[in-house]
Amino acid sequence: MACPWLKQCCRWNASSTSLFETLCHFKGRSVSFSTSSLGRTSWSSVPGNKGQPSSLPRTIHSKTFNFTTCLTGHKPRLLDPTLLQSCCCRKGAHTDAKPKDPFTLAQKDITNLYDDIRKELFVSKELKSLCHYYFDGKGKAIRPMIVVLMARALNSHSNRSGDLLPGQRAVAMITEMIHTASLVHDDVIDGSDKRRGKRTINEMWGEKKAILAGDFILSVASMTMARIGDNTVVKVFSQVIEDLVRGEFMQLGSKENENERFKHYLEKTFKKTASLIANSCKAVSVLVNPDPKVHEIAYQYGKNVGIAFQLVDDVLDFTSGANQLGKPSAADLKLGLATGPVLFACQQFPELHAMIMRRFSSKGDVDQAWQYVFKSDGVEQTKKLAQHYCQEAIRQISMLRPSAERDALIRLTEMVLTRDK
Amino acid sequence: MFPATWSRLSCKALSCQGQRALSLFSSSGPSNWSKVVADAEKIVGYPTSFMSLRCLLSDELSNVAIHVKKLVGTQHPLLNTARGFVYDSGNHLPTRGLVVLLLSKAAGPSHAASDLLAQDMVSGIYPSQRNLAEITELIHTAFLVHRGIVDLKEWTVKDGPLKDMEFGNKMAVLSGDFLLANACTGLAQLNNTQVVELISSAIGDVVQGIYNENYNNSEESSPADGVAVWEEHTFLSHGALLAKSCQAAMELAKHDKESQRLAYKYGKHLSMGHKLNSDLQPFVKTSVGEPVSFSLNSAPLVFHRQIVGQERWSQQLQQVKTRRDELDYSKLLATVKSEKGVSSAVDLCCYHGNKALEAVQAFPSSEARSALENIASAISKF
Repeated sequence: MACPWLKQCCRWNASSTSLFETLCHFKGRSVSFSTSSLGRTSWSSVPGNKGQPSSLPRTIHSKTFNFTTCLTGHKPRLLDPTLLQSCCCRKGAHTDAKPKDPFTLAQKDITNLYDDIRKELFVSKELKSLCHYYFDGKGKAIRPMIVVLMARALNSHSNRSGDLLPGQRAVAMITEMIHTASLVHDDVIDGSDKRRGKRTINEMWGEKKAILAGDFILSVASMTMARIGDNTVVKVFSQVIEDLVRGEFMQLGSKENENERFKHYLEKTFKKTASLIANSCKAVSVLVNPDPKVHEIAYQYGKNVGIAFQLVDDVLDFTSGANQLGKPSAADLKLGLATGPVLFACQQFPELHAMIMRRFSSKGDVDQAWQYVFKSDGVEQTKKLAQHYCQEAIRQISMLRPSAERDALIRLTEMVLTRDK
Repeated sequence: MFPATWSRLSCKALSCQGQRALSLFSSSGPSNWSKVVADAEKIVGYPTSFMSLRCLLSDELSNVAIHVKKLVGTQHPLLNTARGFVYDSGNHLPTRGLVVLLLSKAAGPSHAASDLLAQDMVSGIYPSQRNLAEITELIHTAFLVHRGIVDLKEWTVKDGPLKDMEFGNKMAVLSGDFLLANACTGLAQLNNTQVVELISSAIGDVVQGIYNENYNNSEESSPADGVAVWEEHTFLSHGALLAKSCQAAMELAKHDKESQRLAYKYGKHLSMGHKLNSDLQPFVKTSVGEPVSFSLNSAPLVFHRQIVGQERWSQQLQQVKTRRDELDYSKLLATVKSEKGVSSAVDLCCYHGNKALEAVQAFPSSEARSALENIASAISKF
C-alpha cells in the first residue's frame, strides 16, 4: 500500500493543479482561519463518540505523510464547507483551472439519461405513464451524477479517455431506475401522498398499480444490467436490491439499547441509501479496471457520501420548511422513525427514550420529540457526523489520479453537506 | 418445511374461515393430477435446493409472519396468500419448479460446456438448474403476494378498519419485495447474464399480465378480438414465467437454441392449457350444491362473448341480474353452457395440451419425458 501511495503523492507533488498541493498551500497560510473553524466543527466534541461507527478510520497510514497528515491532523478544517470552497478558490487563483461544478461537468452524460430510461421502459398504455411518471427529468439526478463523474474519474485513473463506456452509462440508468422503483414502493409502505412536489403514484393510481409499476421498473433495470453482460455487475446490483429490502425491514423495529440503536440506524442508513450509491460506483469501476483496490476506493467513496447524504436528509426533515423537500417536515417522526437528530437528542434528554420505543405513537409525541430535538444539539451533531463521512469520502477519492471529475466528486461532498433541499 | 409460525397462522386463519380442502394441489384440477405430480416429483430427486427454505426461515419473513398474525380476522388478501404457502390452493400451477426440473432432466447432460461436470449432477439435474427452479417459484410466490395489495381508496368503512388494510399492504409489499430480492440474488449467482435477462423479462411479463388482468377486464371491452387478447394477456400473466424458465434451464446446460425453443414451447403451452383447464372447472364440474363463482374474464366467458356478440351479451347480462342488480352466477352459468363457449374453450385447452406434448417429443425417451407427457395430457382431461 505504501509504495503506490508514495508514487501517487510524488505525482501529485509534480502537478501544480493537485488537491494535495492546494491543501498544503492552504495549510501553510490559514492558521487563524482554522482555529476559528475548529471550535465549530470539531469531531471530538461529539459526546462520547458513541455514534461513531467502527468502520471509520481511526488512524491513517503512517507513511502517507503530508497529504494525509494534513487531513488527519486538522480533520475538522476540511469539513467546513466554506473552507472547502475557499480551498477551491485558491486553487483557481493558482492555475486558472477552476474546478467545474459537478452538475455542469456531468451534464453532457446526463442530458439524455431520462429519455433513454423512458425508452427502456417500453410497455403499453397506462402502465407506461406510471412507469414514466418520476423520470420527468425534474429530479435532482444526484445518483446518476455521482456514477457518471465516478466513471469518468476512474477511466482517467485507468489511463483511458474519460468518456463513458456503454456499460457505465447503463449503470447510471440502472442506478436511477432502482432508486425510483424503491421510492415507489416506499411511498406505498409509508402511505405518502407527496413526492418531489408531485402527488405520489399510489395517490394518483392506487396502491395496487403503484406496486406493479415499481416491480416493472425493477424488472427493466434488471434486464438492462443483464445486457451489460458482466456477471460481477449483476452480483453487485443484486446486493443493492437485497440491501434495500433488508433496510426497509430494519425500519420496522426499534432497539431498546441506545448504542445498538445507533448502530442499527447507521446500518439501516447504509442499506437503504448508501448501498445503491456505493455499489453503483463499484459497478462502473469493475467495468473499466480489474484492480480490486480501485473497486474498493469507488465503493468507499459512494458508501461514505451516501451515508452523509442520508444524514443530511434526516437533518433537513427537521430544519427545512414544508414543501422544500417536496414532502412535509417531521415526516420521519410521524412515521415513527427515530433518525440521527432524535438519537443524539436522546443522549441529552432521556425522556425521548420511551417515545422512541413506542415510535412516537402517543398523542403529542411528535410535537414533544420535535421540541426536544431543538433544545438539544441533535441537529448539529448529525451534521457533524455527516461531515465526518464526507471527509472519509474525500480521503478515499483522493487516492485516484487527479482529474476534473475527481475534483468535482470532492466538491460534491461539500454540496451534499450544504444542500437545503 | 415451512416455519411453524406460518402454519400456525394459517391454521388459525383457516379455522376463522371454515373448512377448506387441505389438498396440497389445486383441488379444482383433474382427479389424476395429484398422482401425475406425485409420480413426477419422485423422478427429480429432492425437489429443492433449500433457497425458499432459507427465505422462509429468514429473520425478515419470520418477522412478517408475526406481524401478519395481527391481520387474522381482517379481510386483507395477504392472509389468503399466506395460507396458500402452506396449503397450495387456487388456480395456480403448483409445479413450475417441478416442470423446470423435469425438462432439465429430460434434456440430459450438456455436450457443449466444459465447465459443467456430469458428476455435479444430482438425479440428472445440474445444481444451477435446481436453483433456477427455486427462483421460478420465488418469483411466482412474490407475485401472489403483490397481487394481494389493496387499493385503500376503494376501501370503505363497512369493509373494516382502514388501519388493518394499510398494515396488510405494508407487509405484502415488504414480503413480496423480499422474495423478489432473493430471486435476484439467486439469479446473479447463476453466473449467466443471458438467463438473468430472460428471467428479468419474464418478471416484466408477469407484471404486465397482472396489470391487464386487473384493469382491462370489463364488460365493455370489445368482444371481437376477445380470445386473441385473452390469450395474449394470459400468456403474460400465467405462461411467460414458466416458458422462459424452461428455456433458461436449457441455456444453463448449454443446450442448443432448438432445445431452448422446444422447452419454451412446452412451458408456454402447458401453462396456457392449465389456465384454460382451471377456468373451465366451474363449467364442467357436476355441481354439488356449492355456490358457483367465476370471473367474467375466464376463458369460457371470453369465448361466449365473442360468439354471441356484444349486443346479445349485454342483453344476457341484464337477464341474469337479480333485483339488487347483482349477477346470478348460476343463471349466467346456464346461459354460457347453452352456447358453444365452453366447448370452444375445451378445444383450445386440448390444442395447448397437444402442442405441449408435441414439444417434448424431440427429447430422448426417458422417465422424465414420460412425466412431462403425463402432465401435458392431464391438463386436457376433464
